[in-house]
Amino acid sequence: MTKSMKFSAKFGKFMFYFGNIVIGIIFVSPLIWMVSASLKPEAKIFANMDSLMTFLPTQASLANYAEVFSRLNMPLVFKNTLLYIGLILVLDLLVNSMCGYALAKFEFKGKGAILNLVIALMVLPMEAIMLPLYIEMSQLGWVNTMAALVIPFVAKCFSIYMFRQFFCDIPDDLIEAAAIDGSSPAGTFFKIVMPISKTVYATVFILDFVAHWNDFMWPFLVMTGEDKRTIQLAVQSFFGTQPVHYSAIMAALVVSAIPMIIMFIFMQKYYVEGIASSGIKG
Amino acid sequence: MANTKKLSGRKRDERITAYAFVAPAVILLIAFLVVPMIYTVYFSGFKYQIMRPDAMKFIGLENYQKLFSDKNFWIALKNTVYFTVLVVPFQCALALGLALLVSKKFRGVSIFRTMYFSPQLTSMVVISVLWTVLYNANPNTGLINSILTSLGMDPIKFLSDADTAMNSIIFMSAWQGAGYQMMIFLAGLQGIPKDQYEAASVDGANKFKQFLYITIPGLKGTIKYVIMITMIQAMKLFTQPYIMTQGGPKNSTKTLVYYIYTQGFQKGNFGYACSIAAVFFVIVVTMSMAMKKVTAATD
Amino acid sequence: MERLPQTFLKISTGVTTVPVMADEKAELTIWSPSDKEAIETWWEEKIAEWNEANPDIQVKREAIDRSDSYAYDNKIATAQTSNDLPDIFFVDGPQVSYYAANGITVPLDDYFTEEDKADFVDSAITQNTYDGKLYAIGATESSVAFYYNKDYLKECGVDVEDLDSRTVENPITWSEFAEIAEKCTTDEYVGAHIIMDHGEGLPYALEPMYLSAGKDYISEDGKEADGYVNSEEAVKTTSFLADLIAKGYANIEPIQDEFLNGACATMIGGSWDASLLEESAEFDWGVTYYPVNDDTKEAVSPCGDWSAAVSKDCENVDAAGQFLSWLMNTDNVASYAAAIAKPATRVSAYDTEAMADYKEGPRALFKEQLENTAVPRPRTPSYATFSSAYAEAMTNIFSDASSNEEVDEDYIQSELDTVAETFTEDYETYYAE
Repeated sequence: MTKSMKFSAKFGKFMFYFGNIVIGIIFVSPLIWMVSASLKPEAKIFANMDSLMTFLPTQASLANYAEVFSRLNMPLVFKNTLLYIGLILVLDLLVNSMCGYALAKFEFKGKGAILNLVIALMVLPMEAIMLPLYIEMSQLGWVNTMAALVIPFVAKCFSIYMFRQFFCDIPDDLIEAAAIDGSSPAGTFFKIVMPISKTVYATVFILDFVAHWNDFMWPFLVMTGEDKRTIQLAVQSFFGTQPVHYSAIMAALVVSAIPMIIMFIFMQKYYVEGIASSGIKG
Repeated sequence: MANTKKLSGRKRDERITAYAFVAPAVILLIAFLVVPMIYTVYFSGFKYQIMRPDAMKFIGLENYQKLFSDKNFWIALKNTVYFTVLVVPFQCALALGLALLVSKKFRGVSIFRTMYFSPQLTSMVVISVLWTVLYNANPNTGLINSILTSLGMDPIKFLSDADTAMNSIIFMSAWQGAGYQMMIFLAGLQGIPKDQYEAASVDGANKFKQFLYITIPGLKGTIKYVIMITMIQAMKLFTQPYIMTQGGPKNSTKTLVYYIYTQGFQKGNFGYACSIAAVFFVIVVTMSMAMKKVTAATD
Repeated sequence: MERLPQTFLKISTGVTTVPVMADEKAELTIWSPSDKEAIETWWEEKIAEWNEANPDIQVKREAIDRSDSYAYDNKIATAQTSNDLPDIFFVDGPQVSYYAANGITVPLDDYFTEEDKADFVDSAITQNTYDGKLYAIGATESSVAFYYNKDYLKECGVDVEDLDSRTVENPITWSEFAEIAEKCTTDEYVGAHIIMDHGEGLPYALEPMYLSAGKDYISEDGKEADGYVNSEEAVKTTSFLADLIAKGYANIEPIQDEFLNGACATMIGGSWDASLLEESAEFDWGVTYYPVNDDTKEAVSPCGDWSAAVSKDCENVDAAGQFLSWLMNTDNVASYAAAIAKPATRVSAYDTEAMADYKEGPRALFKEQLENTAVPRPRTPSYATFSSAYAEAMTNIFSDASSNEEVDEDYIQSELDTVAETFTEDYETYYAE
């Protein structure tokens, strides 16, 4: 390798990192602003919005965080939220991956119709069916119970479709081979397909976790009471009455984002391993 | 002979397993999506003030007649289509670009992935509040306009001018949402065998050619999926106009879902809102079915 | 619930409702927006006090974490469809008529004597009365006035002492307001801040301008908007406002705390702004009365706040009424108002220790406005429809004025006509006999 090639490789690497850092900063700027605002006194949050100084915490203090923790029972809020999202996700990954697998790999009557149903229902906006769904919950006696938060959201068209797309790419030979070895169709799915599909499970997990972490309107409608408060309800409680104190809201938001960041970084381990390391070639 | 018997037995096993596998999801979907949807269509035949369920009155197709002559409905439909047509290619291309930047393992890759994904980690409400301030029309209070004026340009009334409000929302939405699609592209990229690139590299194909002839074909399924979900999410645009512009100015950011919501809840015209929702379902279902046909044809 | 197609649902339910045993003990649930710590503590203390003294009527309060008042109203609307409303819930002033007209709330006249009612400021009783009956009762009020940055106004050559010396009989006029705004507008400063929330803030803060010009948004009986919100007077008033935007004297997108941060010379601001300014403003500031129309000189000011109402789903209205009449007694109103830092609704509350800071300064001014010039928002079941249509029209008008840098009166007329039409359609569809 010549010197100039070495240099250009190094330069390329430098440019690669430089580009990533610049783009990364643009993407992460609202988080930085949020953190910085959460450290400022109320009067300073929207000051200096005309310069980059707005991203720096001037007169920093933890007073806003103290307010968040004194006003809200954060451990309880996290417990409530993680419990309901955890329940949704466990059922979500199981129910939707099974459905997606059947749609990808089995032949049966009504398959086309079900696939069409899944695609058609993907477009249903929550805002349009919120009230009928509430009436349904009320008739089932589920208002103000965990069931109303969890059960309607287990089956997800997006997740089913994503699993199906992924399982379609799994070679038939692999499934065939398992069958010849005497594995039942269900056994093949649970023992062979599931373990090599970490990537898609991790992806669906992250995407659905994030979506539910930001749930506001539905928990707001069906749950009442401080002991049942979920994370977004807790954050919104700071909107209270006029004047709105953004400083406390920002601190609450930062606190609420921490579990997601941890989850995201943690899940990546499964992500990177994925198929690439499983020895299967598509 | 024994062999075919075994095979048909397996086929039967498969069928039973298939029904057992789809049943839970399908039952839940019907109970909590199809049933409310049928309710929505049912309510659309009534004059129904949300606060007065006891005074509900059947009026047949009157809500639909009103709908087709309601200029706000057509404006909302036009805005929704406009948003979708622009945001989908923009956001998908951005997401693919980001995914390619962080698809390989290198030092710090997980930090960069987290950074690109981070707009997803804060709620859309906060992102909208923040960007409302960043987009502020006055260069003394808005960061973007203060940068523009310091470069000698005229300030832009991003959100309070009917000509720029929707484009401003499009730009922000693509920026906020790209991290989500990036994750899906990353999953797709993992599925492309490394040896294909190695072989192409040996053959002397440059990076661009590798991208064109290996990455793109390898991601065909993923690209279809990403375009479809981005499109569907775009059709549901609500939070950004709700917080940033309240559908204005001059109706320029009023979308169908926003219109359904304000009619149904804020103004209490629940029966009418249901008729908009029903028409919305028909439009979007037709669209996604058409899309499925088109993509199936290109397979 | 006969009206709903129940067949779909009944299949999977199995749930039957257990009949509640009829004993003397009443249980009441209250919904009110969650609030700052001082208010949460106030609730805990008051409810504990009541529950101890009244073993027969046990009260429980649920704090509702609303993101905005629209979200809160959604929750009420949704709960109401399935008879899930609590016994008592809080409601924003102008919504009282909407709920009352639709039979969501029940009258409270039996629980408040005439003497009691006379102790409340007129505006609070009027706002909560619909069709001659009292449907809600609140502890706090709000007001709006003209704030000014004394240091900066002096620099611009405005006679600050004159502003300081104004009285409720002699407030500044809108043209004086415009003059000050013009004088104080520079590249760095805007002359005035007007609430621009694209929502309820607009009709709330601006209504006195219209009233002072001679025409309210809606007729006294709450039935007509045509000829009111789109009248000649209303168009003229709206043009005046649009002109401030067109000339750049006020920002079309004012940021939160624009005045507090010293980016803005004056502000048409709320009574709730005073405490933050006292805490954090780095300049000398003053407040004077809400400006009046140049021709009529008629002094009017905004008012209205959240109040408690008893719902149709309440099984023991008597117990709820008794509890509310206790909750809204002078001492409780005073301690609540002090905790939330808002003006009280009861005149006698101002004599208590808790509200001693209403004797002078900005708070005394707000109290004075409430007692003398406050006019509540229109009482009509179609208020919500009116409010969102008006806010939308104003947003369009301001956007038009700002883009063209001039005011187009024909456009203003057409937008206000749309507001009147929207109101009329809603009223005639659901409420006209």
